[in-house]
Amino acid sequence: MRIRALVLDTCRELLYRKTLLFYFGIVTLTHLMLLLALETDAANGLITSVRVFGMEGHASRGGFQLDDRGAPGGLMIEAATLVRGIEVTVAWILYPMGILLSVFATASLVPRMLEKGSIDLLLSKPVSRPALFAARWLGGLAVAAANLIYLVGGVGIILGFKVGIWNRGFLLSGLMMAAYFGALLAYLALIGILLRSTTIGVMMTAAIYVVSLIVRFPHANADWPMLITSRIARLMAQTVVEVLYHALPRTYEFGQIVTSLIMERPVASWAPVGGTLLAGGAALLAAVLLFRRTDF
Amino acid sequence: MADASAALLAEGLAKTYRSGLGRRPVRALKDLDLVVPRGTVFGLLGPNGAGKTTLVKLALGIAFPTGGRATVLGRPAGDVGARARIGYLPENHRYPAHLTGQQVLDFFGRLSEIREPMRSRRVETLLRRVRMDEWRATPVRRYSKGMMQRLGMAQAILNEPDLLILDEPTDGVDPVGRQELRDLLLEQKARGATIFLNSHLLSEVERVCDRVAILKEGRLVREGHVDDLTRPESVWEIEVRAADPARLRPIPAAVPGLTLPPARPGEPGEAGAAVFELRGDVAGLNRALDALRSAGVMISAVRPRRTSLEDVFVKVVRDGEAA
Repeated sequence: MRIRALVLDTCRELLYRKTLLFYFGIVTLTHLMLLLALETDAANGLITSVRVFGMEGHASRGGFQLDDRGAPGGLMIEAATLVRGIEVTVAWILYPMGILLSVFATASLVPRMLEKGSIDLLLSKPVSRPALFAARWLGGLAVAAANLIYLVGGVGIILGFKVGIWNRGFLLSGLMMAAYFGALLAYLALIGILLRSTTIGVMMTAAIYVVSLIVRFPHANADWPMLITSRIARLMAQTVVEVLYHALPRTYEFGQIVTSLIMERPVASWAPVGGTLLAGGAALLAAVLLFRRTDF
Repeated sequence: MADASAALLAEGLAKTYRSGLGRRPVRALKDLDLVVPRGTVFGLLGPNGAGKTTLVKLALGIAFPTGGRATVLGRPAGDVGARARIGYLPENHRYPAHLTGQQVLDFFGRLSEIREPMRSRRVETLLRRVRMDEWRATPVRRYSKGMMQRLGMAQAILNEPDLLILDEPTDGVDPVGRQELRDLLLEQKARGATIFLNSHLLSEVERVCDRVAILKEGRLVREGHVDDLTRPESVWEIEVRAADPARLRPIPAAVPGLTLPPARPGEPGEAGAAVFELRGDVAGLNRALDALRSAGVMISAVRPRRTSLEDVFVKVVRDGEAA
């Protein structure tokens, strides 16, 4: 009952802040657009005609075009290709936006909890410190995940009914992003307990996001250390890159995995997902251990 | 010194705060021994920085001791089981701004594992008891300081605690509200709860507390029953009226220990009225009364002079008078 109360209260707090309600609004708009604007005729797995906002779509040598002149001839595009195309577009635009807004919304969860007058009250109740902290993290993750699931669920269902193609990979990609955000939120929580500042939390999470994208390239390129002539400097640089790569979420690889899942291509490696979850778990564990021994 | 009947027990309790490199550690509590007996209303006094809040935090497990030990209701301080039997109202408490008064009580009721329908019943009763039922659906961010204190009191006693720890509970509350809170405290005492009160309002403490302790610079400097600390000093004040004030002046010379201090500046003087001071026991008092009566003086009042808690506090804190 206590953990549930804490998780629900965290969700309620996030809804009160309205940042994620804004995202919810954008996702709802996307759903409405797909629902009202997209019209297709499919036969035998092939799209025979597509109309977006009343404009007819047709295949052409240069790709796929929309105009109001009507299709010049029989349009033949695979329904699955159209669905995946829309889903990838939605994913590449709305996933990063969802992550960004979720970071904004949840960055204050830990610093606010640690404020004088608030933490004293919470710690005076019969709830263990690890449970209190974990419930806060779980509440943040639950709201962000609910938004992502609302996005993929809605888009998936609308496209499923309109085109007749049900893409399980799209739903899975939403869950992947929720897991990615879970890891990011663990870092946010760790920064929150260390620095107790919402603003610094947002800035450092943005830095984690960017650095995780950057370190992937020297990590993937085995030859780059040869550019450094000093052996010690080379070793140090390599160590820094490898530590950062393994300690931070694998943002780039998550992007690739999400695309592969939506396009129903085989995923090259699941290791980045495992590595990210491990790193996030370690950050959360460190935050909990710190919270457990901190004086307030 | 272990005392199973103590609601709160501190043995050699010490706390040193260390913050950041190059900063001097702050010794907030130094080797503190304290027993708060169950069923009492215990007041903790001390100037700012004396270590009062630190002691409360150590008792609740909000901070950790650097020396000694503390037990609360027979369990180690901070124990989750013990916390289920504690009610706490911190100073400057903050409630989640998105909740209404009723939701705040419901939330903390859930955290205290109070099950339905008991929780709803208690929330209802307490909202009425602290006169907040009209504001139940208003978000707490719109509450005044006094309303927050009243809601805070309701929150603190929601779980019918065995130990109620209150930090400045009447802060920002008007005199009527203060009286109501005092009644609420007495109800809790009558229920059998131990009340640990941390307040700057010494008159409040003197009114409701059975025992008090005074901390200064992290050390316990005085502890005892309020009655003992404010015990009469064997000084009596005898208020008299005489038709001829000149007859009063020779009387002190005839009675050992009797003096006639000059009227205090600003004190309204009634013609022929005076207040004698007598240092001595009851027999001495009777001798003085006989002497006054035989001198034809009308005695209008006799009262033992008590030291107020404020006097004790100021002496101990400012003048460094030890127990």
